[in-house]
Amino acid sequence: MKPGSARATGTIAARMPWTSRYPELGTGPLPVEPIISPALFEQERTKIFKRVWLNVGRVEEIANPGDYKVKRLDVARTSAILVRRPGGEICAFHNICPHRGNKVIPESGNETFGRARANLLTCRFHGWVFETAGAVRSIPREEAFADLHKACFGLRPIACEVWEGFIFVNLAAEPEQSLTDYLGGFGEHFSGYPYGESTARYKYSAVLNCNWKVSLHAFSEGYHVSTIHSGTSPNLMRFEHKDFRLFGPHSTSAFFVLPIAGLEPSPASALFREVLHRSERHRPRLHEIPPTMNHERRTDFLFEFPVIFPNMLLHLSAGNGYPGMTYFTHHFWPLSVGQTLWEGTNYFRPPESASERIAIAHTTAYHRNGWLEDTSTMEDTHAALSSGVLEEIVLMDEEIMIRNTHHHWDRYMRAA
Amino acid sequence: MPAVAALPVQFAALEPFVTAWALPSENARSAKRWASHAEDFRRFYDAMLPRMPEVLAYLDEFPLHGLPAEARPLYHLALAFAESAAHVELYGGANKVPNSFDQARFMAAHGERTD
Repeated sequence: MKPGSARATGTIAARMPWTSRYPELGTGPLPVEPIISPALFEQERTKIFKRVWLNVGRVEEIANPGDYKVKRLDVARTSAILVRRPGGEICAFHNICPHRGNKVIPESGNETFGRARANLLTCRFHGWVFETAGAVRSIPREEAFADLHKACFGLRPIACEVWEGFIFVNLAAEPEQSLTDYLGGFGEHFSGYPYGESTARYKYSAVLNCNWKVSLHAFSEGYHVSTIHSGTSPNLMRFEHKDFRLFGPHSTSAFFVLPIAGLEPSPASALFREVLHRSERHRPRLHEIPPTMNHERRTDFLFEFPVIFPNMLLHLSAGNGYPGMTYFTHHFWPLSVGQTLWEGTNYFRPPESASERIAIAHTTAYHRNGWLEDTSTMEDTHAALSSGVLEEIVLMDEEIMIRNTHHHWDRYMRAA
Repeated sequence: MPAVAALPVQFAALEPFVTAWALPSENARSAKRWASHAEDFRRFYDAMLPRMPEVLAYLDEFPLHGLPAEARPLYHLALAFAESAAHVELYGGANKVPNSFDQARFMAAHGERTD
């Protein structure tokens, strides 16, 4: 039996109520080639990742003047220095010395943190000194160069804008849209939450042997929850995933957990939940979520769950989902056609007592274990798709965010 | 068991778990979880669970960022309990999440922190 000729009855509109609201997406299968083609991967570098806005950090990571973060962006074969200026502004530069190309800041791993003393960055190769606004301040033995126009030898800038404390860069020489225009309706839908209060972060990462879209797509749907998460999350076996909305390349949805008769939280989980829920800062604070979310004000709201094109998810739960957790993010950084750096970060308001800190460790461990379940399929999926046995994959209604991501991936890839 | 008590006297019954479980960082506690057997998890869980309200109340007498040296082993035991309870409550004593990705390939950015 071919996909589409299934025995299910009813019209497409009845079977796919969300997808059929967006006829431009169609209901057909998606090609496998974008996941396994080295040639398409090379095109993604320029047609997507050097063209769109990418989230590379939070403002709290570089809270004080002179603080910097260096973020490796292998997909664009560069690293971005994000540095806070004395006035509070954040600037971004390529981590390359304009003299002979050494990295100005030596990197350790995918993210490197430090502080520019006296708001100056010094290349350790020959001692060129740069201001945190990028201009070259001093060049040792400057007189020995021929006609050096110092104004041309500053750090190479990267367009950088901040939305709700999320730092974005755009690697195009001249971005075609502002960040606000790029985020569009998504930015409005998610604005207003006090993200900046959640300064306690617990971040995990892994290099996955799969294409970045295998990982992104697996985290973009809830269809897998009742199979993949039956071990860690017996409470998630009944859920609703609904209120899908598309904002151009971005999309969002709401996730609700339905009660299961007779199922109580385990003793440790109940104990730690109680610790967090009796705290004013950590208890569920549904009133803080933006007014366009959870419009029915349901108390079984787990989180608002969007895909931010091309490679980010931002789950907002305001403490109403996993105890104490206000929001969490995923990022999928392409390393090669078959390799991805995945990052998952949990955010909490900072604990003010040992019991709160310990309870947060429980929530974090529980969520990490769920992520270990999520990531368990990804390398298998990539390996199997690489066989070429399948030319297409099919999607059910609630996998619509994957369909939307692909629709816009295709649009970017077809652009000149 | 350490020759000198590591825990406040009222928690002496937890003393046998200090050497193995009172580890200061998440990475160290994860390594202990991965090397543990069902019986290790069960003994630690059964000893800790009924004492947890008392443990948390004791620790909360101090400021979080000013825990005195005598409270730190107990604090680390409680963190180890928080991070390992699922192995008893959900995973039947297994030292890994069933049907999961290789946990050793998950890197915790905060893994060496001791706060």
